[in-house]
Amino acid sequence: MTVDEQLVMHMMEPKNYGHMDSADAYGFGKNPQNGEKVVIYLRIGKDEEEPYIDDIKFQAIGCSTTVVAGSMLTEEAKGLNLGGAKNLVDATLRLLDKLPPEDAACSEMVALAILAAVETYERRMIEPDFPPITYKIKSDCTPKEEENESSND
Amino acid sequence: MKAVMIKVHEVWLETLMGAFMSNTHNKQTLFDFADILFRHFTWIENALIKSGEEYSYDRDNIPIKVESLSILLKDIDMRLSDIDLQLMSLEDKDLANRISSDISYIRNVLSKMHDEVISAFTMQRVMEGYSLSSEATDALTLFLFEESYKEYELIMIYNYLKAHSDDAFMNRIFQILIDESMFHLKCFGDMMAKMGILATPRVVMRELYQVTDVVKFLEDGIDEEIQAKEECKRLAEAVASDNEDLAKFFDFINNQENYHIALMRDALNHYKEVNDIE
Repeated sequence: MTVDEQLVMHMMEPKNYGHMDSADAYGFGKNPQNGEKVVIYLRIGKDEEEPYIDDIKFQAIGCSTTVVAGSMLTEEAKGLNLGGAKNLVDATLRLLDKLPPEDAACSEMVALAILAAVETYERRMIEPDFPPITYKIKSDCTPKEEENESSND
Repeated sequence: MKAVMIKVHEVWLETLMGAFMSNTHNKQTLFDFADILFRHFTWIENALIKSGEEYSYDRDNIPIKVESLSILLKDIDMRLSDIDLQLMSLEDKDLANRISSDISYIRNVLSKMHDEVISAFTMQRVMEGYSLSSEATDALTLFLFEESYKEYELIMIYNYLKAHSDDAFMNRIFQILIDESMFHLKCFGDMMAKMGILATPRVVMRELYQVTDVVKFLEDGIDEEIQAKEECKRLAEAVASDNEDLAKFFDFINNQENYHIALMRDALNHYKEVNDIE
């Protein structure tokens, strides 16, 4: 990973990191390979025509790359309506091929956690006790050189 | 009492960050005070366990970006003053008095500390006296963020396990691992401050320290230590051509992981034996 000033800033002070006590919904993105996970908490604003993400927080069991991805994506998701948040998730998932495997896995985990939280909220509008949704990532976070090493063993 | 524990947790970290930032003889005093505050944290935690109150290691983010040490010291003083007032709510008056007496002394010393200009947040990523290539600097940057959090996480996990265990054998091992992680955190925090990228570790998620399966935790922990060894080895190699001292330091950290793995294996075997687990 190339380390630039923006990345360092997100590592020093991740945006929106932490637990949200009075979340309207939360959801998980999980890496089944190594147990890493991201939880996204949402507070939904209802004072406009369409419900929107009034506040968003995340926590992660994962590496610094996951925290950077969480910091960046939650900043982008803040203020979006639910359709906009789903579009953000789609756009992120479409970009994964262009990223190194370990970065792709982390970004996918955050994006899927946002999707899980949004969909949990939508389901709770119909069924208030609906449990938080968990989505599992498909990307493999093993760096290419390690993959080659193990396949040469 | 729960609120007091959270505040002590926050001021412990803030004081530790202050020690990293300092480049004068204030440094050791702040490290010593951070150690005292960490002990206060564990005492209050024990009192909470005794009284059967539920608690967690959740806390607020701690803003530490200052241009001069005096600003941080003033904030630490305000936090300590607040804690001192809240100590009155503790049922254990001996504990409250002991902590209050320490706080009174710490506040007095802090008020007399001379000021320092802080360079721990410049983001320059250059350490005085060390010349590293941009690849080695990037590798070191990522390592420091990753591992400073990891050491804090381990301190919190082992501390929680120790607080909830009456097994002297296990507690001896947990205490050694806490001490070792404290040392590593101090090394990495110091380097981060020198590089201008100092940051408070993020809050640890509850499910990480509220361990329900000790065997799985220790087995996973051994695997993680093995991976950490590999990381140190990779980093030592990445910086070796640029700086021999730094390479030696990471070899030293790498070799320390062997001891951690041995201790965790001892803990795993003992736990399985005591609890009759295959």
